[in-house]
Amino acid sequence: MKRQIPFALVFIFGAFMIFQYFIPHETSEWVYEFLLDWIIIIGIFALALGIWSLLRVSMDKIKNKKENYVYSYLILFGLFGEIIFGFTAFNGESWGFYIPFVVCALLAIGMVIHTMISTGKRTTFAGLSVLFILLSVLISIFDNSWSFHFSSAEGVQNPMFRSFFDHILIPVLSTMFALLAFFIASAAYRAFRARNLLATLLLVAALIVMMRFNPWVPVIYGDYGAKLSNWLMNVPNLAAQRAIVIGIGLGIVATALKIILGIERGYMGKG
Amino acid sequence: MKLKTVIFICLLLLATISVSAQEGTEVVPEADTTEQMPPPAPISMLTATDTDNDNGHSVTLTWEASPDDGQGAGTVMFYEIFRWVPLMRDTVEQVRSELANAEQELDIGDPTGEIKERRNRLRDEYAGLLSRYSDAYGQYPNNGIWKSVGVSPSGDTNFVDKGSKKREAFDYLPDYCDFYYQVFAVTSDDEIRTGSEIFGPVHSYGQLFNTGRIPIFAAVLFFCFMTIYFVQKAKKGADLYVRPLAGIEAVDDAIGRATEMGKPILYVLGLGTASDVATIASFTILGRVAKKVAEYQTALIVPTYDPIVMTVAQEVVKSAYIDAGRPDDFKEDTVHFVTQSQFAYVAAVNGTMLRELPATNVYMGKFFAESLLLAETGAVAGSIQIAGTDEIAQIPFFIVACDYTLIGEELYAASAYLGREPVLLGSLKAQDWAKAAIVILGITGLIAANLGWTYFTDLFQVMN
Amino acid sequence: MKKTAIIVTAVVMGLFILSWVLKANAVSATAESNYILRGFLVTIAAFLTLSVLSFLYKDNPFYKFAEHLFVGISAAFWMCLGFWSTIVGNLIPRISEGLSNAFKVPYIGGDWGNVLGIDIMNVVFIFPIIFGVMLIMRLSSNYGWISRWPLALIVGTTAGLNFVRYLQSDFIQQVSSTFVPLLGNNWTGFGDFLSNLSLDASGQLVLILANWVIFIGVFCGLIYFFFSKEHTGAFGKASRVGIWILMITFGASFGYTVMGRISLLVGRITFLFKDWLEIIS
Repeated sequence: MKRQIPFALVFIFGAFMIFQYFIPHETSEWVYEFLLDWIIIIGIFALALGIWSLLRVSMDKIKNKKENYVYSYLILFGLFGEIIFGFTAFNGESWGFYIPFVVCALLAIGMVIHTMISTGKRTTFAGLSVLFILLSVLISIFDNSWSFHFSSAEGVQNPMFRSFFDHILIPVLSTMFALLAFFIASAAYRAFRARNLLATLLLVAALIVMMRFNPWVPVIYGDYGAKLSNWLMNVPNLAAQRAIVIGIGLGIVATALKIILGIERGYMGKG
Repeated sequence: MKLKTVIFICLLLLATISVSAQEGTEVVPEADTTEQMPPPAPISMLTATDTDNDNGHSVTLTWEASPDDGQGAGTVMFYEIFRWVPLMRDTVEQVRSELANAEQELDIGDPTGEIKERRNRLRDEYAGLLSRYSDAYGQYPNNGIWKSVGVSPSGDTNFVDKGSKKREAFDYLPDYCDFYYQVFAVTSDDEIRTGSEIFGPVHSYGQLFNTGRIPIFAAVLFFCFMTIYFVQKAKKGADLYVRPLAGIEAVDDAIGRATEMGKPILYVLGLGTASDVATIASFTILGRVAKKVAEYQTALIVPTYDPIVMTVAQEVVKSAYIDAGRPDDFKEDTVHFVTQSQFAYVAAVNGTMLRELPATNVYMGKFFAESLLLAETGAVAGSIQIAGTDEIAQIPFFIVACDYTLIGEELYAASAYLGREPVLLGSLKAQDWAKAAIVILGITGLIAANLGWTYFTDLFQVMN
Repeated sequence: MKKTAIIVTAVVMGLFILSWVLKANAVSATAESNYILRGFLVTIAAFLTLSVLSFLYKDNPFYKFAEHLFVGISAAFWMCLGFWSTIVGNLIPRISEGLSNAFKVPYIGGDWGNVLGIDIMNVVFIFPIIFGVMLIMRLSSNYGWISRWPLALIVGTTAGLNFVRYLQSDFIQQVSSTFVPLLGNNWTGFGDFLSNLSLDASGQLVLILANWVIFIGVFCGLIYFFFSKEHTGAFGKASRVGIWILMITFGASFGYTVMGRISLLVGRITFLFKDWLEIIS
């Protein structure tokens, strides 16, 4: 029962999606659109599981004082800080006691976590968490320069939310992306050795295409470099890509069919 | 005196020349020689039918071109198509516009409740109008107007009147209603046109089977038959050969190496979701790896990108530990969620690689730009790396940076190869037969295309 | 070692504060009101950029700082965005008019009538909530098996979708794409062909050669991916040709992306030299 019903559901929905493809009728289209919307909505509920997992791993590291556990505080700070910013917004130009509120709220969360994971000094942490929760609540009640927004997306326009995105998230993301420039050079240096015929073919093809962007190549070789590079990209590249695409497509089709028919069962676990 | 005379004569001459020149450029109104353009000949054989292989709300018109299409005195520039629509369409539009305004005003604020009341009244009125709209088409030719629904350039002899299926949309076209059409042949002077005979009634409706997709239907049946046949054959004990895959053969050695070194194994499922087939194939491989890891009591680290993938991976690894007879060794945090941001995930995994220094890194699933970041960091950390992905753009990076790479389809074959279960080997055989069919069909089609046998090549055209 | 770490940290903090002050000073000259905050934000962006770049040397506390902060903030960012775009944008407008009004989003009702006074559209969209709650049951040790049901829905639906989609795109369409004219589009006989021989890119010879290479490349590539037959004899030779073509492709793809990757670095260096240090204008 615990596994039969899920496999039956897989078959029913999988078979429906296959038949739906051949039935252009409106009703079939509506059900198809609903199912896709359902998947997106269910996925958001799964995010709660993910955040819980992240929290648990961080709390476990702090509790057991594992190596680099101090950095787990940063994860918690970033996580809860951005959530607070995302659900609060300013009512005017003045910031009032917003920053003290954020500090008290983060400290309160920190104390609560410590209360949960500590073996000793629990009362102290519990007391401190009550104190900071009280402070946060008092500030939120009496300070009118900002407010909570759970029913509208004004928090997304919160300058702190945007600042964290623009000045922390984006720079780190862009720099991680930029690391590829170094890594591609180091990968090329390590791999481009003509150890055997296959490696030689890889090396020569890469060099021909890379040289295309070299401004000296047209001076020395005329436009033969560009022609050869274009031919490489348009002819053998096309042939191999087509072969790989056909292979991948068949693999996906076969695996999808195995899943629908219940032949592939590993993803459902046991017990 | 003489000078004055000369000047006077020169001025006179100048004036005379100017006048003569003006006389030369004087615009003389031309006699009206153009004749009024005659109206063009109308189109003929106008037919309207429901558009095939769709969800309804669409009518296809065909006709024979006007004899004056592209020739003759009254040259047809385009055809304008008209459909009879009930007058209440304008009322529907007006109420819809008022309802949209009321919704906007409600968003701003409604302290007295008056706007909400007006909005609710308009909503009821709108719903009532829409429910009567379809019936209004039956009042033809009364209480209606002819409305232009589109144009077709000269030379064209067909037009598809496609409407929306949503009742609240501006261009809603209801099914099972009587539609009437007329097509005008129009000249360069928009006023000079000739209409065809009115055609109707015609209904639009959705089909229950898309005949344009028959080639795919045939492929579905073929594939299902091959899979079921070979799976049954495998179940009966047929010996099915699978060629060796270097990457998968290396997994066992890599796990052994990790055990000897006392270092963990890092398994990365990629950035796909649980619905991606590559990720599902990766789950199967993870199950095998986890079982071996459980038997050897080696540590396993599985950081995940997607929370649903985390859920499934936890189930898979837990089951593997149970199968290996070591349920107590399973730790929930073996499989953990990191973040759903691509580069944050990579930053965290890179950090894990350099701190935990795993002996083996396994990358199986869907990867994008971060593939090289992961593989290079793993190489720096000194790990044996085995990768497999169906993302064609990332395969070169894995080939360059990893020790073993499963290219595309080999990832899907890996699950059959690892377990050697007859059922999985049977489906792999079906895959190969499908490839053989592609080769045979391809060669046949190649010959057909070169000999001009369009009947065969047309079989592979999918409509809609 | 600890002393070195303290000195390095102190130097970095000192440089950070110096940069903050200098940057705030520079921004205040443009009469911007939040110059202190602006200076801080640009400095933190530069600091994080350099911290991540330091990873190229080796793992270090600055990279760990940037990494952990990034993970925490990004997880929360996507959670907030997911809440507003999916729950509030996609789900709430369809499950209840009252909730839609409370969340100030336009209600999307259906036009299939009501069941017991409830819009059918509302009923239809209660199910994903039920499945979502079932997924969260994963956290329970006794009822965790219930989370397989929504999983089955997701996996089954997408498996069915992928099955037909890839059959069309990677089977039917790819087969029809291999129907290339092996003798070119305008074959008028060997006489004309030989008299008009040239290496021009649009010439018949080059086009015919290209079609033959595509034809051989596709079939040999496919043969390489045959798993259930041993690659020996003629079959093995064809497979060998296939892997050669694949390696040429991978090399070409690698070479093609190099310049794109280099340009990513240019962007970050521009930020450091222009926005932070103001060395270039």
